[in-house]
Amino acid sequence: MIAPPGTILALSAILFGIGVFGFLARRNIILMFVSAEVMLNAVNLSLVGFSQQLEDPRGQVLALFVIAVAAAEAGVGLGLVIALNRNKPGADVGDLTELKW
Amino acid sequence: MTSFAAQATFYYMAAASVVSALVAVTRKNPVHSMLWVLALFLHVAGIFLLLGAEFLAAVQVIVYAGAILIFYLFVVMLLDLPGEEARPRFGRHWLLAAAAGLSFAALAWLAQAEMPDRVGGRLGPAVGKIAAEGPPRGSLRDIGEALFGPFALPFEMASLVLLAAIVGAVALARGRGAGS
Repeated sequence: MIAPPGTILALSAILFGIGVFGFLARRNIILMFVSAEVMLNAVNLSLVGFSQQLEDPRGQVLALFVIAVAAAEAGVGLGLVIALNRNKPGADVGDLTELKW
Repeated sequence: MTSFAAQATFYYMAAASVVSALVAVTRKNPVHSMLWVLALFLHVAGIFLLLGAEFLAAVQVIVYAGAILIFYLFVVMLLDLPGEEARPRFGRHWLLAAAAGLSFAALAWLAQAEMPDRVGGRLGPAVGKIAAEGPPRGSLRDIGEALFGPFALPFEMASLVLLAAIVGAVALARGRGAGS
């Protein structure tokens, strides 16, 4: 065994926490999306760890679906960023206040 | 690879991925941030390799590092962010955000520590026992059989999700006056 079972989950938890921190703290919308990608990657890591521990390929299949959803999310999210940028240059979420009451 | 070398490689990959993730979410320049995320993705792909998920490691490098990250870089360079260096990096609530991140990590850690050990070890049967019974099957073959067998419907739905994302991204990015 390469690593004790808890190690991969602990690594996944740490990476997920870093992603949450980045998503909540950054003001740049593109870097917020990247933090979301870090979180998705952490989840993939725990899925692969379970797949190896339980000798079951289903974990890797679920990780593949997570990657597909991450690609879709990146496409739509960055399309939104470009559409927003047409009206108002910049990527700071503090400037996006049109929906605020 | 001997067991010690594999373990040392694993702990190097783990430490490097944590460090590059931390650096990535704290850099001011978005392009630097992207490059550190690239380092994170490559290290995670290395961990996938060590865990016996060769296909997923390849997908990680090709799709994440190759496609998604380049897409992000394109958008960063397309936008030509004005005054990026002059703005504060974090909002005012970054301490709150750090607390939220830490509590999520602690929650995930507690969830795995409290897991009842139903089948021997903490996470399931020992790996060596099952692997000794028969010749090991290739993980790619297992994934393919799962993907086109019991997971055929979710697989097709994933392609539908990707199609919807493509159409949506084009419709969003093209803008109102560009077409028709």
